[in-house]
Amino acid sequence: MAEPRESHRWKWLLCAPALTILVLAASGPLLIVLVYSFLTPGNMGGVIWEFSTEGWFRVFFRRDIFDPADVSLNTAHLTILWRSVWLSLQTTVICAVLGFPTAWFIATRPANTRTVWLFLITIPFWTNLLIRTFAIQELIRNSGTINTLLIWAGVIDAPIQMLFSEFAILLGMAYVFLPLMVLPLYAAMDKLDFRLVEAGYDLYASRLQVLRHVILPLVKPGFIAGSILVFIPSIGAYVTPRVLGGGRTLMLGNLIDLQFGQGRNWPLGAALAITLLVIVVAALLFYLRTLNREEGPRHG
Amino acid sequence: MKDTRNSPEIEIAGLSKVFGAGASAFTALSDIDLTIAPGEFFTLLGPSGCGKTTLLRVIAGFEQPSDGSLRINAQEVAGKGPNARPVNTVFQNYALFPHMSVAQNIGFGLKMLGRARSEIDATVDEMLALVQMAHLADRKPAEISGGQQQRVALARALAPRPRVLLLDEPLSALDLKLRKGMQSELKRLQGETGITFVFVTHDQEEALTMSDRIAVMSEGRILQTGTPHEIYHRPRERFVADFIGDTNFLEVEVAEADGAAAQVKLPGGALHSARLPGGLRPGAGARVTVVIRPEQAQLVAPGQGVLAATVEKSVFFGTDTHVHLHLEGGAPFILRRQNTGAMPEPDPGSAVGLALAEGALQVVGD
Repeated sequence: MAEPRESHRWKWLLCAPALTILVLAASGPLLIVLVYSFLTPGNMGGVIWEFSTEGWFRVFFRRDIFDPADVSLNTAHLTILWRSVWLSLQTTVICAVLGFPTAWFIATRPANTRTVWLFLITIPFWTNLLIRTFAIQELIRNSGTINTLLIWAGVIDAPIQMLFSEFAILLGMAYVFLPLMVLPLYAAMDKLDFRLVEAGYDLYASRLQVLRHVILPLVKPGFIAGSILVFIPSIGAYVTPRVLGGGRTLMLGNLIDLQFGQGRNWPLGAALAITLLVIVVAALLFYLRTLNREEGPRHG
Repeated sequence: MKDTRNSPEIEIAGLSKVFGAGASAFTALSDIDLTIAPGEFFTLLGPSGCGKTTLLRVIAGFEQPSDGSLRINAQEVAGKGPNARPVNTVFQNYALFPHMSVAQNIGFGLKMLGRARSEIDATVDEMLALVQMAHLADRKPAEISGGQQQRVALARALAPRPRVLLLDEPLSALDLKLRKGMQSELKRLQGETGITFVFVTHDQEEALTMSDRIAVMSEGRILQTGTPHEIYHRPRERFVADFIGDTNFLEVEVAEADGAAAQVKLPGGALHSARLPGGLRPGAGARVTVVIRPEQAQLVAPGQGVLAATVEKSVFFGTDTHVHLHLEGGAPFILRRQNTGAMPEPDPGSAVGLALAEGALQVVGD
């Protein structure tokens, strides 16, 4: 009896390296950010070790420069907050809509060619994100490839303004995060028993009904994983909105960057970073709970 | 006997199925002609790879025939999808929807047909009672046993009241005892519903006990169609005789032939009458193969009967004993006798005679 218990006692040591890294590299900095959000900003950046809730206050409100007692909602911050959530949701939906047929196509290829298709899906990861984002910029800027071609073909007279817009950010994020939707969807479809699809057809379901009642419920885990993998990096995206949104269309990541840089308001930046974290966790919990509650009625 | 003069349930004529094209083309079915009567329990029997499952899938609509016609209830259905045919399938692995409850699985077909909720509920309850699964209606397929999943698969396929139920080796995943129970359950369900059953199996005993008629298949062709009795006692080809039951084959010479009967010369020289299958008309002096079922030969004293043999060994099977013999001339022969306790087992090495029942010999083609 003593021997298995002895080995059991020491087994947790196997987790120690991973735990150490997780605690030091994740919890540590997070704690620092949390502490900084309650300090006073220094004049040249950094913080002064003096307790203040001003950083948190300024996440949602702003004070008049001349009359600090005149408080109003910080609509600029709220707009950026909303834009981040909204663009991320749209990115997730776009990736799901584009990713589903892609993953289905791959999953229905003969087994020996699937690896080739999966390999092609991962090709964009070979190049640095910044370079790929600048490549998109080159495609859609006013004197870029698309506008030049359209003008040359006589379709338009003046270039279409695509760069530095929400459209550009959406395009960039959908492009960057699409593989993160395709891969988990493919994994779910790969496990799908295609005889269930046949059973659906056999029981008088149309193509659309088979999709809705048989395929979609069975690949739901893939959708959940893919949505989480796309939504979380989208809402914190920094490079894509910076390069493709210009200075005009900020997202949360850029706003946080601004506070630690030109804004020289580290406590506000820290508070914004934690706000982002709270949004992500809340969205995740809400999402998972809604999915779990989706248990249909008896013959539903 | 079923009245086959009624308009047939399924009519297949000149049907073939080729997979692939060019050099890699594979002919899974060739020149299938088949007529199945309404209410019949029809079995497609053959070894794995003989095309029986492909034929079932063509009837279901999962595969389209390369050539020929397929009529269900006098309607041509070749080219139509499985959702446009009045047939339902019980899949080999059951293929129950894992995300739906037992009741939802059974109601799925009716729901897709757009039936009213009240009708669906009533039919589901009826089907649950029919397969004795009412107490597990709200379970998921993963939460019930293999035998119970089998019943749910049956109920799901029967719920839309198809004209034809297709069963693809539905009992192969069950253990022996469950399988015996499900065999009689299937017969009961077919009797109660009156639906035509097309049953695919590689188990000849299952086919013999359950079917009204059997089609024996090999290499994409139907070799013989008939009642279990005909298939067992009047096999037309060596393959059919060999696949169904234990069989002794003897090479004999035709002494004289007259219509459907012939006199053949057995090893040792005795003459015995043998039936000829339709289409086979050997002349006198031709070498043919005859089939003798093990239970149609009897041990008699040496020198008596029509064949002389030497006992090799006896194998005890409970109700039966199989006596392995060598005929005069060396051909092996197995004889089966019931253990009524009347006769002692013959000693290995002893010489015996064999008497054959009248009509025991059936000539088969190769």
